[in-house]
Amino acid sequence: MRFLHKKLNNGLNIVGEENPDAMSASVGFFVKTGARDENPEINGVSHFLEHMLFKGTHEISALQVNEAFDNTGAKFNAFTSEENTVYYAAVLPEYLNNIVELWCKLLRPALRDEDFQIEKNVIKQEIAMYRDLPEFDVADKCRNLHFGSHPCGQSVLGSEQTIDTMTAEQMKNYFISRYSPDNMTLACAGNFDFNRLCKQVESLTKSWTPSAVSRQTSFFNGTGLSQRYGRDNLNREHICLMSAAPAYQDDLRYAAAMLAIITGDDVGSRLFWELVDTALAESASMHYDMMDGTGIFYSYIRTAPENRTVVMEKIKKVFDGLMTAGVSEKELTAAKNKRLSTITIKNETPMGRLVDLGFDWTYLQSYQPVDMEIQQIKAVTPADIQQVISKYNIAGFTEVSIGPKQ
Amino acid sequence: MEQILKYIMPNGMVILAEPMNNVQSASFSMMIPCGTAVLPDGCCGAAAVISDWIFRGAGELDSRSLTDELDGLGLHRDSAIGAGHIVLSAACESGNIYRALELYADIILRPALKTEQFEFSRQLALHDLHALDDDPRQKVAIETRKHFYPDPMGRSAAGIKRDLENLTAQKVFDIVKDNFNTCGIILSVAGKCDFEKLCRHAEKLFNSPPAAQKQISIGTRKPEYVHIPHDGAQVHIGMMTPAVILGHRDYYNTMAAVSILGGSMSARLFTEVREKRGLCYAVGAGYHSLKEMAGITVYAGTTPEKAQQTFDVTIEQFQKITDGLNDDEVHRAKIGLKSSLIMQSESTIARASGIGSDYYRLGTVRPLGEIRQAVENISTAGVLDFLKRNPFTDFTVVTIGPKEINRF
Repeated sequence: MRFLHKKLNNGLNIVGEENPDAMSASVGFFVKTGARDENPEINGVSHFLEHMLFKGTHEISALQVNEAFDNTGAKFNAFTSEENTVYYAAVLPEYLNNIVELWCKLLRPALRDEDFQIEKNVIKQEIAMYRDLPEFDVADKCRNLHFGSHPCGQSVLGSEQTIDTMTAEQMKNYFISRYSPDNMTLACAGNFDFNRLCKQVESLTKSWTPSAVSRQTSFFNGTGLSQRYGRDNLNREHICLMSAAPAYQDDLRYAAAMLAIITGDDVGSRLFWELVDTALAESASMHYDMMDGTGIFYSYIRTAPENRTVVMEKIKKVFDGLMTAGVSEKELTAAKNKRLSTITIKNETPMGRLVDLGFDWTYLQSYQPVDMEIQQIKAVTPADIQQVISKYNIAGFTEVSIGPKQ
Repeated sequence: MEQILKYIMPNGMVILAEPMNNVQSASFSMMIPCGTAVLPDGCCGAAAVISDWIFRGAGELDSRSLTDELDGLGLHRDSAIGAGHIVLSAACESGNIYRALELYADIILRPALKTEQFEFSRQLALHDLHALDDDPRQKVAIETRKHFYPDPMGRSAAGIKRDLENLTAQKVFDIVKDNFNTCGIILSVAGKCDFEKLCRHAEKLFNSPPAAQKQISIGTRKPEYVHIPHDGAQVHIGMMTPAVILGHRDYYNTMAAVSILGGSMSARLFTEVREKRGLCYAVGAGYHSLKEMAGITVYAGTTPEKAQQTFDVTIEQFQKITDGLNDDEVHRAKIGLKSSLIMQSESTIARASGIGSDYYRLGTVRPLGEIRQAVENISTAGVLDFLKRNPFTDFTVVTIGPKEINRF
């Protein structure tokens, strides 16, 4: 594999990892914008804008967009998070040029009023859909409570009210400032020719102008508050816990990733043995989300409402145990093996490789080869994990639960 | 050109492998003939209990040591329950596959099945069943398959509350003893592997004698509409209509029709229901198949006031497709099918499960080149002819939500 990088005159960074043995290529635009970059009045605009990109340009209609994608057989999609909006596609090498051209065109959308109004309905349908998914809903509410006044607590979807009152003009202004070439990275992995890609993109984006947009990043410890919501239509208790964690830019991120596996991997973790093996909860997991300048550990537990008290006691026992005694060498070795095998499997496909390639450049402005990541993981010690545990007070979590009305 | 290797052990167990270049991982999948359809009546949900219980200690290892050993190998484990099989699968760094298979031989042939662990497994299965009520989207898919397929083929892997409550350790122990037969097991491997070494290793590990396999007697199906009230934000609509199985001469025409109807963003359902009318966020069609029968599936989730129109527009698209197709949409369907195929071939996990499933359904594995050729051979006239011969008229419909729809 060969890494290549080029920065165009308009500020757009292009990063690539060529692998001539691959059977496909994956390409993605990583736009550094998300819910945390929104003014509260237009909360949800990043995600709504992601939908609007598929509505086409002044030359291409929405139906033509969908057909153009499907003409290449691409596996394509987009997603919006608190801090990124990513447009990606995996495609056979012979169609890469077509897909790159299409994405470049779509990244300068028409944002037509009539499409904007129709798509409002789709967004509101999506909000309703997620309201029927308590696992998602509880995480959204917990993030909001955990981050308090910090912008990372803003909902990605927004609310029905912000979507209803949003105007196409507000979206256009947001687009102009955030979708500038100096605020995005184009990443490509797999079977492709980097120089050819750069020439094509340079020509397609020559009219794009930089905006020198920036983002306020500050570390946030979390509010540590707790809240419960009762719902008539639920029969399980859905619990989400959140605490502070190292940022993407922090060298402790590898130790934090190991800690999340030891504490809350689906199988064989401390939460698993306390809660799932004993059938107190059917699901218990912890994840680590490294973000720009800050980060979170979040746990999700699903249980019977009557088990809630005992489940929370057991969780406290797990977290207190980590705070007082740290982790053992043996469980760290198991966590490393799990992570290393994940990395091996994920990086065998260009699509798996694309995500790390794009995000590493977005957050670190550097290339992290797979071998380096493996070395960093192997180097984690129990003392590093102890440092994460004490520095980030994992037992001081914010808690939200959603369950049946009491 | 890929190579599919096959070896049938003297006791009937099948070993398949697809060696892959440029990968460091190996994935395997073990299909054990103990799926939902072969369970005795009154034991619906037992497969879910079994797939947890067998991992609670095996061979010389207790539950904790077994999990530690599996985790120590960095295994990515999964288990799935189908009508015919419990499928245990794992992916790992290729050097670890031999030790992993030793552990799986213990799990399959010498599970501890301790009575004191049984209750935990049963409770977890019951919890998972209750949790489905909080996930109407998943539940509607399960309920649609249950009502679409004739009994026992549509039985839910999650089980039935009454059956789960009545299960005993002895009853489930007997099901394991009766169904975990090496002669019905298909082991499929994809990735970096030495087939000869693998076969010799498996032969030592799985050398138990053959036993008779269960025959399933299948009932008859009838189209119907079922509504399950749920006070949620959306009405979740699940639909299925009969389709041909893998191996049928119209199989690839069916794949093309599914793709044109609802397999992508330019497909008719997405275009008509979401893009032109903004009726819902999620709508799409897919193909679901067993060895014996298959169906085209549809899911749409929408707010109550738009549910009826969403349903009506969906049905209309199934009717209209027999009126005509254009070459562009058939062309797009073909490229989509071809791309999926090639991209799947890059993943050891997808290939291990793909070759096992092919062998079970067809008694052989379709080489990727053959599938590719079959996709190339799809023509507009061929798909249209197929659709005219097989119009979609027979639907099983299930809705979950605050409002019913008018079925006819």
